[in-house]
Amino acid sequence: MGAKIRRIFTYFILIVLVLAWLLPIFSVVLAALKSPAEFSSQKFYELPGKISIVSNLKMAFKQWKLYEYFTNSLIYSICGGLIAIIASSMAGFSIIRLKPKFNFLLFIIIYSGTLFPFQIYLIPLYKFFNMTGLYDTRIGMILVYSALCIPFSLFVYRGFYTTIPREIEEAAKIDGCGPLKLYAYIFLPQSSAPTAVVALFQMTWIWNDLLFGMILTRTDSRPIMVSLATMSGVSGGIIPYIMAGTIFTSFPTVLLFILLRRYFISGMVLSTAGE
Amino acid sequence: MKKNNFMNNFISYLFISPAFLLVVILLLIPMFQNVYYSFFNWDGISMPVFNGFKNYIAIFRDVDFRISFQNTLLWVAFTLIFPVMGGLLIAVFLRGLKFENFFKSIFYIPLTISFVATGIMWNYMYSREIGVINSILELFRIDKVSWLVNVPLNTFSLLISWTWQQIGVNMVLFLMGLSSIPAEQTEAAMIEGANRWQTFIHIIFPMLRPITTVVIVMALANSFKVFDLIYVMTRGGPYRSSETLAMTMFRETFTMSNMGYGAAISVVLSVIVIAISAGYIKSMLKKDLLYY
Repeated sequence: MGAKIRRIFTYFILIVLVLAWLLPIFSVVLAALKSPAEFSSQKFYELPGKISIVSNLKMAFKQWKLYEYFTNSLIYSICGGLIAIIASSMAGFSIIRLKPKFNFLLFIIIYSGTLFPFQIYLIPLYKFFNMTGLYDTRIGMILVYSALCIPFSLFVYRGFYTTIPREIEEAAKIDGCGPLKLYAYIFLPQSSAPTAVVALFQMTWIWNDLLFGMILTRTDSRPIMVSLATMSGVSGGIIPYIMAGTIFTSFPTVLLFILLRRYFISGMVLSTAGE
Repeated sequence: MKKNNFMNNFISYLFISPAFLLVVILLLIPMFQNVYYSFFNWDGISMPVFNGFKNYIAIFRDVDFRISFQNTLLWVAFTLIFPVMGGLLIAVFLRGLKFENFFKSIFYIPLTISFVATGIMWNYMYSREIGVINSILELFRIDKVSWLVNVPLNTFSLLISWTWQQIGVNMVLFLMGLSSIPAEQTEAAMIEGANRWQTFIHIIFPMLRPITTVVIVMALANSFKVFDLIYVMTRGGPYRSSETLAMTMFRETFTMSNMGYGAAISVVLSVIVIAISAGYIKSMLKKDLLYY
């Protein structure tokens, strides 16, 4: 009897919470579907008479040049993620298996890049980028994003490589495999699980970054989140356009999440628990 | 033989060098430069003038900084109550329910959405004239509220959007912790006549301790770092009333061009964040050293 009431109560609370969590998504999607005229004459929960998300998107594209910035962010996510993956898997392999002198110290030095709040890098990076001509260039952004992704990626690869059995390596060595072959033919092909975690996590992070994009770019090489943030100006925005743009820019990361949900959770656990 | 050894070491370092150089040049050297700049009076254009600890002294005399610091503490406290404790409660109640996976996905969808998009969505929710929340209140004949303008309500409004975004991480971590607790333990306690609350306090909560530590440390560090959400929703305003340390650093540096002062604020922020996570990092590295 008591257990039944308790279960009903639990479900009730959870359903209320779920509805509260869905409310922002629901309202934003509805707003993005309506034409501006319909939006201003209706209540937020009323369904649109005609679906006008395509024309809303077109207007958002036109007003905020979303297409250009979308391409930039795509380039940053893919290139930045790729560089981080290659650099950190190589470093992880060397630290765990080649074990040069000071390997643990080198690991700590690279890993320490995750400890500090990003604010501590901003002023010197801004100055350095202006000095070297990297300011407002795509190559500069790719370099910064990959540097920011490497510490966590290295942590993941290093942890993973400790679990690869040594026998495989010994056998390869007897067959005359050098370190480069060992890395390219034995370690790299086995690393699909950590690579999926790192790629998913770091690409999502790069895609969602605002701070570095805002400070290190001005015009052509702006990432998408900076242009999205300029939409939120307190006055004058047309809500259906803004909401259509917001959905459009969130689409890639939400899609990645749906496709690779399994890796998303293990990455989240890794990024926090470190196991 | 000796030459071979040298070659091996050389190749090993070659493998590490791309990661090492990128991190050192783009992150670690800038970090030390930032500490150096914090001892100068510098507008970013003219020559920096050394002024010792004056920036740091100015921080503690600055009234705006005090407001920002108070807000940051509010963020920290609120984060512990809502995203962390809320995440724990949801995890405890969700576990073993019929639709566990469905409920879980609802709470972590917001995590895949950026802070910028979250901020824009919630700007619409909170909008005074056309906002969703005020429209709902209108149905109950409650007057319009300026969620993002009234002080201190604006900070709490920001914190609600923060909770919406963050609760999923903590929920997932707590669920992971809960799944590692053997069922026999809780069952045994129940058989001996403990009620659910007693079982939770005396059996489940103590066993969750390792994961609770992780969650709390991460949540504390993240609440000190929060920037995007505030930037998009209020720009720290009105009149700096909703600023936190990360936002103040940004405004002083890139709006007011007080580079030296901004650098000093970022040093203070980093010291706080590292002090919070120091114990945790140490224990993690210790565990890590066992590999060797």
